[in-house]
Amino acid sequence: MNLGTVTLGRSMLARLLLGTALVFGIASAPETLAQSSLSQSGLVGQPEGITIITDPAQWPKTFNEAPQLAELVKQGKLPPVKDRLPEDLMVIKPVREIGKYGGTWRRGFTGPGDDENGNRLNASDRPLLVDHTGAKPNPSLAKAWKMSDDGKTFTLFLRKGLKWSDGAPMTANDFVFWFEDIYSNKDILPQGIPDMTPQGKPGRIVKVDDYTVNFVFDVPFYLFEDLMAGDTLIGGGQAVRQSNKRSHGAYAPAHYLKQFLPKYAGGVEAANAAAKAEGFDTWLTRFHAKKDWTLNPALPVLGPWRTVQPINNAIWVMERNPFYWVVDPAGNQLPYLDRVTMTLAENLEVLNLRAMAGEYDLQERHIDIGKLPVILENQTRGKYKVHLDLALNGTDAIYHFNQSFEADPEIAKWLRNADFRRALSLAVDRKQLNETFWLGVATPGSTAPGEALPYFPGPGWREKWSTFDQKKANEMLDAIGLAKKDAQGFRVRTDNGQRLRLQVQAVQAFLPWPKISEMVADQWAKVGIQADVRDTERNLAFTRTQNNEHHIMVWNNGGTELLYLFPRHAIPVDPTEAFMGPEHAKWFNSGGTQGKKPDDPNIMKIFELYQSAAGQKSDDRVKTAQEIWKILIDQQYAIGTVGQSPALMGVRLVSERLGNVPSRNCIAQHCRTPGGAHPETWYYKN
Amino acid sequence: MIAYIVRRLILALLTIWAISVVTFVIIQLPPGDFVDAYIVQLSASGSVVRFEEAQALRQLYGLDQPVWVQYGKWIIRVVQGDFGASMEWNRPVTEVIGDRLWMTIVISFAAIIITWGIALPIGIYSAVRQYSFADYIFTFVGFVGIAVPNFLLALIIMYFGFKLFDLNIGGLFSSDYQLAPWSWGKVWDLMKHLPLPAVILALAGTAQLIRIMRANLLDELRRPYVTTARARGLVEWRAVMKYPVRAALNPFASTIGYLLPFVVSGSIVISLVLSLPTVGPLLLRALLAQDMFLAGTIVLLLGILTVIGTFISDLILMWIDPRIRAGMHE
Repeated sequence: MNLGTVTLGRSMLARLLLGTALVFGIASAPETLAQSSLSQSGLVGQPEGITIITDPAQWPKTFNEAPQLAELVKQGKLPPVKDRLPEDLMVIKPVREIGKYGGTWRRGFTGPGDDENGNRLNASDRPLLVDHTGAKPNPSLAKAWKMSDDGKTFTLFLRKGLKWSDGAPMTANDFVFWFEDIYSNKDILPQGIPDMTPQGKPGRIVKVDDYTVNFVFDVPFYLFEDLMAGDTLIGGGQAVRQSNKRSHGAYAPAHYLKQFLPKYAGGVEAANAAAKAEGFDTWLTRFHAKKDWTLNPALPVLGPWRTVQPINNAIWVMERNPFYWVVDPAGNQLPYLDRVTMTLAENLEVLNLRAMAGEYDLQERHIDIGKLPVILENQTRGKYKVHLDLALNGTDAIYHFNQSFEADPEIAKWLRNADFRRALSLAVDRKQLNETFWLGVATPGSTAPGEALPYFPGPGWREKWSTFDQKKANEMLDAIGLAKKDAQGFRVRTDNGQRLRLQVQAVQAFLPWPKISEMVADQWAKVGIQADVRDTERNLAFTRTQNNEHHIMVWNNGGTELLYLFPRHAIPVDPTEAFMGPEHAKWFNSGGTQGKKPDDPNIMKIFELYQSAAGQKSDDRVKTAQEIWKILIDQQYAIGTVGQSPALMGVRLVSERLGNVPSRNCIAQHCRTPGGAHPETWYYKN
Repeated sequence: MIAYIVRRLILALLTIWAISVVTFVIIQLPPGDFVDAYIVQLSASGSVVRFEEAQALRQLYGLDQPVWVQYGKWIIRVVQGDFGASMEWNRPVTEVIGDRLWMTIVISFAAIIITWGIALPIGIYSAVRQYSFADYIFTFVGFVGIAVPNFLLALIIMYFGFKLFDLNIGGLFSSDYQLAPWSWGKVWDLMKHLPLPAVILALAGTAQLIRIMRANLLDELRRPYVTTARARGLVEWRAVMKYPVRAALNPFASTIGYLLPFVVSGSIVISLVLSLPTVGPLLLRALLAQDMFLAGTIVLLLGILTVIGTFISDLILMWIDPRIRAGMHE
């Protein structure tokens, strides 16, 4: 199963990158070698991105379209391109040049649970989308936006003449429909979301006119601007937020979806009967299927591509949206690429091998950094170029200790013990992990976001409780009452004298977390702690964590670099993937009506800080985030290992034929890698 | 004769019923139920299902009823051909399996034909020319074949195929044809991709079959009737093929029962390694994801096919072996 998984040391990578001679030259400084070889290798590019032309005077006056669409226009099946585009155009200047129409973008995906693989390509279907730096919001569906001085009213200015993929106009009514008929419908969403409920006070969506929408709140909510620009429940857009039984995203195609709701379809009985006739159990399951762009080709969408063959097939096929509202400076309606085909790979090894064989045109998702040497070796044969894009998050393997675990009181006691967690963190040999699984190119340390970001808590916090010190770890474990060991040298439970066994739940997803965890378990065994690694299928793992059944869950903390936008892998405030304490997240999220209130005053302090941030202006928000990071790292609710690496979606194989692809991608949740780089501007040079 | 067939049929039906019970137990085995999974799916979107709603859902699916009532409802649905919907794939189970069934059958049949095509002649040759040079070679290769796990073989062949011959990695179609409708080009593309998985699937079984065939035939060749036949001047070819080979085929016939489920599921491990769109990986995936309607249906299907296969091999045994027919009359 591990064909091609090569775990090589730093020198091996350096040799591949630089050639043997150079390695001998500076072999005495191996620490700096990996970093410098990485930057000299030409694999790490400079951040670059598209330009949005906002001055109407510079907009093109005439328009072109893909040949297939021109054919449909000729047949009278489609209005002329000029009528399909909005008056308020979105004009994007590609990274390099004007492209050509045509071609299929071949990618690999891993099954119906991998909808994000495609959702991300349609990242422009959100009101705002960050630029290539990941720091500045750009217009997208909305041509402009404004936060009122008192922080209580946020206004989106929509594009006049914007159309859904079926040609129907997209207006403020679609936002109001989502708010009134989906978000406020308790059958679909029994509960409000923090994004719309600052300090527990529900906000509203109000239509000003067809192209102006207000989000109105009772209290100052300056954070909302960030939320709208991030990968959040409110700002996430239709593709991601309304697929896979999700129902958020701030707007929905009212003209299409109304027919499936009891309110517009003659009541619950009639809606259920209609659902049964189509083979669905209830109107709700039917509604979930109908508003899911990955399952329903008939659903009107706003992204560059729409599904033509659903995700639950061996091949997931997308084709261009004939009403896509973006043009290049020459007036060519985007996207350039006709189609996207995702082929199902039964396992990640096959996906990686296919990538190396040149069977994908651009693939960064599911590429295994451990195979980098082989990937580089096959560049010429596979006719692709490799890019390494460095992430901003603190750690690629984060060990979350479930703070709300209850099933075994003894285990729960230790999971909640700060010194226990600190000792286990000190017992981790991050250097060994880095060399084995990250080829030495990552940065070891705590969970804190990258030093370059404003949220980084300050000097010393990368190392805090995050260095390798077995002696101190042993002393701490002895001191907290775990001094007794069994015959094999493992520490025993205080209640029945049996060996203390922790379970580490690991999913084979973006990284070989089960294997990484085996190494961590070996390191823990050296301080007498037995950890059993459970290699678990992704959906099942999520089911278990939702049900509060896990002890320790390993994942990455990508996205936490912007703490307020994607907090779920740093603090338990979002019941989705709340590995650090699902019951606490439910408690926080439900305003105290569900789940379990944390006993730990530090978690309550984090909740308090997190809640206060929403009403703070930018500078104060940054300080608050630093405070939260300091508590998180001091308490070690989650152990950080190594991060700021290209391991997650940062090893990018790009076909030599593809043009306009930036030499560096922003690797972050809110950058929607690779969607934030506007794939609609990519094209085949030949 | 008729009584024998009827008796076997009744037994087969009873076994299938027993399998359906076991399958149902398998569906119920994992902690939680369908509604739990559904709730988790909903809460993955940030929404929480209330207790009352969960109860309503359980009522809707009949999960609040005693197990035997649930079984009754399930088996009635299954008998009517309604196997429920796959949770992971959001599609009816029959569609999900049906998509992959034909490919699986094609690969498995190819594998079986290759297995028999290689194993029977070699087995016969090895027995007739026992301890000859070729026999030693075949014996050696056969033992290696038995000893090497076939997924490893798959990996090695795949690696060299990629490294030396630039072969397509896994799958049954090259990317140009994956989406294309069926055409001669596509059939040819399939034919080009078929040998690799079929040969790998076949090889492991081949080694085993060679050994069985050789051993069986050796037993028969020492029997007095063979000596008699030779003494009476029967041509060697006829003396071997007419009786001893027929008798030695007995074990083949009795294992046909296991071939049918193999044809449908293929080899899970090999299919996974080669990324073949067969039923095997689907079953593994369904079990891992606790997609129980899908997993249950596949297990039930495999069980039924085993029963049918056994029934067929009983009939074939009757046909090729007069001793069994004779035994029925006593």
